[in-house]
Amino acid sequence: MVSSNTTAQDRARSDASVPRYSTRIATVINSALYRHTLGAAVESRIGRVILLAGVPLIWLIMLHVGPIYQMLKISLLSHYPVQPGMESHFTLDNYAIFFRESLYFTPLIKSFIFATAATAVTLIVVYPVAYYVAKVVKPQGRSRALLLLLVPFWAGELIRTFSVIMLLANRGAVNVLLREVGLIDRPIPMLYTSFSLGFGLVYLICLYMLLPLYSAIEKIPSPLLDAAADLGAGPFTRFRRIILPLSRDGIVSGCCLVFLTCIGVFATPMLLGGPTTVLFPETISGFFHGASDKWPVGAAFALIMLVTALAAAAIFMRLVGGRKKRAI
Amino acid sequence: MRAMFSDAPRVTLAAFYWAFILYLLLPLTLMMAMSFKDANFVAFPIGDWTFDWYGEVMQDKQFLEACLYSIMIAAATTLAATILGVWISMLIVAEGIRGQVIIFALACLPAVVPGMISAISLRIFISTIDMPTGTAAIILGHTVHAVPFVVVMALTRLRSMPGNLVDAARDLGADSVVAFFRVTLPYLGPALFGGMIFCVLLSIDDFVRTFFLGGYRLTLPMLIFAKVQGGMSPEINAMATLVLVVTAAVGLYAEHLTRRARTR
Repeated sequence: MVSSNTTAQDRARSDASVPRYSTRIATVINSALYRHTLGAAVESRIGRVILLAGVPLIWLIMLHVGPIYQMLKISLLSHYPVQPGMESHFTLDNYAIFFRESLYFTPLIKSFIFATAATAVTLIVVYPVAYYVAKVVKPQGRSRALLLLLVPFWAGELIRTFSVIMLLANRGAVNVLLREVGLIDRPIPMLYTSFSLGFGLVYLICLYMLLPLYSAIEKIPSPLLDAAADLGAGPFTRFRRIILPLSRDGIVSGCCLVFLTCIGVFATPMLLGGPTTVLFPETISGFFHGASDKWPVGAAFALIMLVTALAAAAIFMRLVGGRKKRAI
Repeated sequence: MRAMFSDAPRVTLAAFYWAFILYLLLPLTLMMAMSFKDANFVAFPIGDWTFDWYGEVMQDKQFLEACLYSIMIAAATTLAATILGVWISMLIVAEGIRGQVIIFALACLPAVVPGMISAISLRIFISTIDMPTGTAAIILGHTVHAVPFVVVMALTRLRSMPGNLVDAARDLGADSVVAFFRVTLPYLGPALFGGMIFCVLLSIDDFVRTFFLGGYRLTLPMLIFAKVQGGMSPEINAMATLVLVVTAAVGLYAEHLTRRARTR
């Protein structure tokens, strides 16, 4: 019924000279406005290239590269924003400040220690879980097992951080439970310490580790493991000789993702950390709020952090990932 | 004997998996439970239970405004990021254009730069082009953040598309623009929808970019952050619970859609 209708319409249109389309697009395509603008542009090769590449290239250069470039430029200026009556000149002093004062140096070191520790703990904790879902759970139950792991991550950074407070506060679940059981008399101060910050970081980022690990482990052919077992390899040997080397890609991308996320986390240290756990992002943020003439210093510090973090990730990739052709 | 040995790692792993699930869900469950506490301070045990905090939240003008504002920003971000992401991925898969690896690397750059640094560089960027902080700046920042994810999702789908589909459309008289809207875009459909929902969640969740780019109007994460710093009250728990339930439902729906698209 419907199809015969369309063919009848098509037949009625077939004698027209302009190409016809059976939808509302036709009215747009056949309008004079379209034929003289877009329609004319796609006729020539150069027009097609401009249409295809123009907007994407402008966006990528302006907004993916532009901000980093501007940050670099401002980090080399003595004053920004420039106040009336003040001259701004080229200087490397903003970078020198970082190396002069341990006040600034320590937070970066702390940031790296926290991010590295959180990455290592996450890898160790999440690896068995990813392996369990990818290889032990039967294929039909796999997506449900995975879904259960995803649920908490729809909560968002801030809500997850907030929920950790419920667990670790002085009158939070852990302390109250321990006191009820009679193990402690007074609450253990856990919140606003390195412990709560580490706990919160791991809680925040374990999904970024889980997904790459899961997809890498899932790709390992199960017959390979069976063959190894038949040849007498115990569980530990199979893990060390087959599973671990073949899931290396997942480990590398998971660790890099988690590490770079941890380095850039801003709200969590402010909510879960204390005075002893001031991390570098908080230090940088100080230059942008309040005294505005410290922007160049903040920009320089942000660049120092970006370069060191990416370098650390690249070194890790090289060390663990080995030499491999990178595919897009 | 042998069966017992081969089963031991399996059982240990299963136990570990469930312990991990417990670890993931426990804090959120506690947070939700606390929203029913009949007292104006946050502490265990909960004691008396009440629904009052939800009534309070629903009358909280600040909360409702923040909700609307967040949704508005998320909608604008999603629209912009989807258009740009698809456009960029079309450029990456196009034939006869060089430097596609570089374009792909540029497209993914914002996903590699740590959030804090991305926020600061954007703050500096908008000041160099004399753009004030506020709604437009937030949307710009969120879009930069979301584009790489759309690109990756669209690329995965585009690479699985049979090339002769577009060729056939061209043979039948469609120009490139028509072929894109009538063939490529419908083919991208399901993957794109999943990507769009992901954009919404990214935008609603974002704190650090909004913190640096925002004006005086608060988005949801900013409001919760301000309230947590201002002092604990079960009202925050009720607020967070509401947000959590809604975003989880949206996420679950997206997951369901993308799974259906994959199996089809």
